Amino acid sequence: MDIGDPYIIIDNVSYRYPGTKCYALKELNLTIYKGEFVAILGEHLAGKSTFCQLLNGIIPNFKGGRMEGSVIVGGLDTQEVSVAELAQKVGIVLQDPEAQLFTTKVLSEVAFGPENLCLDVEEILERIKWALEVVHLTGFEERPPTSLSGGQKQRLAIAAALAMRPEVLVLDEATTQLDPVGTLEVFSVVRELNEKYGMTIVMATHKSDEVAQFADRVLILHRGRLIAQGTPQEVFGKAELLRRATIRPPQVSQLATYLEERSLHLSEFPITIEQAKRGIERLFNGETSR
Amino acid sequence: MDFPIEYYPGRSFFHRLDPRAKLVFLLFFTVVIAAIQHIYVVVAVFLTVIALWCLAGLPLRTMGGYLRMWGGLMAFLFVVHAIMHPGEVVLINPLIPPFVPLIGGRGSVTKEGILFAFTITVRQLALISILPLVSMTTPIHLFALGLVRFGLPYQLAYTITTALNMIPVLQAELRIIMDAQRLRAFGTFEKGNPIARMKAYPLLVTPLVIGAMRRAQLSAVAMESRGFGAKGKRTYIEDITFKPKDWVFICLTTLYCLAALLVNFLG
Repeated sequence: MDIGDPYIIIDNVSYRYPGTKCYALKELNLTIYKGEFVAILGEHLAGKSTFCQLLNGIIPNFKGGRMEGSVIVGGLDTQEVSVAELAQKVGIVLQDPEAQLFTTKVLSEVAFGPENLCLDVEEILERIKWALEVVHLTGFEERPPTSLSGGQKQRLAIAAALAMRPEVLVLDEATTQLDPVGTLEVFSVVRELNEKYGMTIVMATHKSDEVAQFADRVLILHRGRLIAQGTPQEVFGKAELLRRATIRPPQVSQLATYLEERSLHLSEFPITIEQAKRGIERLFNGETSR
Repeated sequence: MDFPIEYYPGRSFFHRLDPRAKLVFLLFFTVVIAAIQHIYVVVAVFLTVIALWCLAGLPLRTMGGYLRMWGGLMAFLFVVHAIMHPGEVVLINPLIPPFVPLIGGRGSVTKEGILFAFTITVRQLALISILPLVSMTTPIHLFALGLVRFGLPYQLAYTITTALNMIPVLQAELRIIMDAQRLRAFGTFEKGNPIARMKAYPLLVTPLVIGAMRRAQLSAVAMESRGFGAKGKRTYIEDITFKPKDWVFICLTTLYCLAALLVNFLG
């Protein structure tokens, strides 16, 4: 995917939730570009959810609290416009599949957002058709969301966000409660959105194996601070830093680190099984230089 | 036991009525049931509501369970009224033996008391039986739309329907909590004596309330993120239209209610 112009500009943001003295996010500076696939890794309470909700203005407009600095999304300052307006720039999918689906059938679930935007009925129906097609849920219109599997529910939540026609899709641990099949379903939809439709993806997760395959850039949050960022290869190679932030790198990266600590260097630092396979084959053939 | 309030799909006459007609029905019947006192009228209205359950194709087994769920409260209501209500034809007298200090020798169960208690109990049953008739035959978003068309602000209508929607969710959560406690050999809620059960309640209610609050907060974030409360006249892709059959239904409801009131006060 080609990376375009800056779309989200986070300028020196610090944030505290109402009634707390501790910063959930501290001195955050970051630019996210159009069409980019950004993954955010961090332990529990590292600030991942806070970061996600910062992007669509839920923080601070809905949650309150004290925010310093500014977040500009598609030219709009999130502190100056309503969440409803920002919802057309940034769609969000939350972790809990049940809590974010609140109607009695798939059709009305996807319709909920565009209905709030007061669009024409034809336009809404068109958006629903498109959104359900993208997440491969066409034909499920009349089904109650409660009857869907975990992966289907999260895909429905993605469709509901897509119906707002956002530029950015934020997924806040959207696969954490899913089994491997559900996780794969969600990841393949997200990847398709990024590659085929050029949608900007921001994904908070701790499934580093999947992140390694799909993300253009990985951010590491630790206690509300951005402590590292770079390509998956760069970030997953920083073993000491990852250990400090209690993040588990992809298994093949762990293997490479283990080998390096024993002075066995692979030709390239692997983040996918393919790369690891290639590296180990070269190692056996005697090509160890990097 | 499940609290039947969740939409039960079907194609009955009741399912196809406009939500507004059903809301009018709910209102009229509630008023009438609250007003009537005559035993025959009360029984007739209760039987009418049960007949409407059948007409609406509601699952009778679940509905029977629903009535049984209220059994304890109804029995309590019956006993209290039977003792408290004054009457002439004494059946048991005195209820409290004379040797009990202060209140000894008082209270007696009379025929009038029993009849009155029966009327009150059936009336309560009729009252609790009308809500499922509306909530189980109307999808929640159409229910909200009905309220909006009656002039309620959209946000308020949605808050009411979302609250109704929470009941089955909380029930499921309650079952999970009880199962989890049972798995760790905590069975007070099934087998314990009433006092032990009362004492164990915080163990059940605390996780339920915390879970409900967490879920409500997440739902609020999800709704807000999808433009809930945006300015302007909201669109609805599914509209409701008041058809002649809805007028007929309202007329019949009105006639029935007037007749019930007339018979009650004159008969």
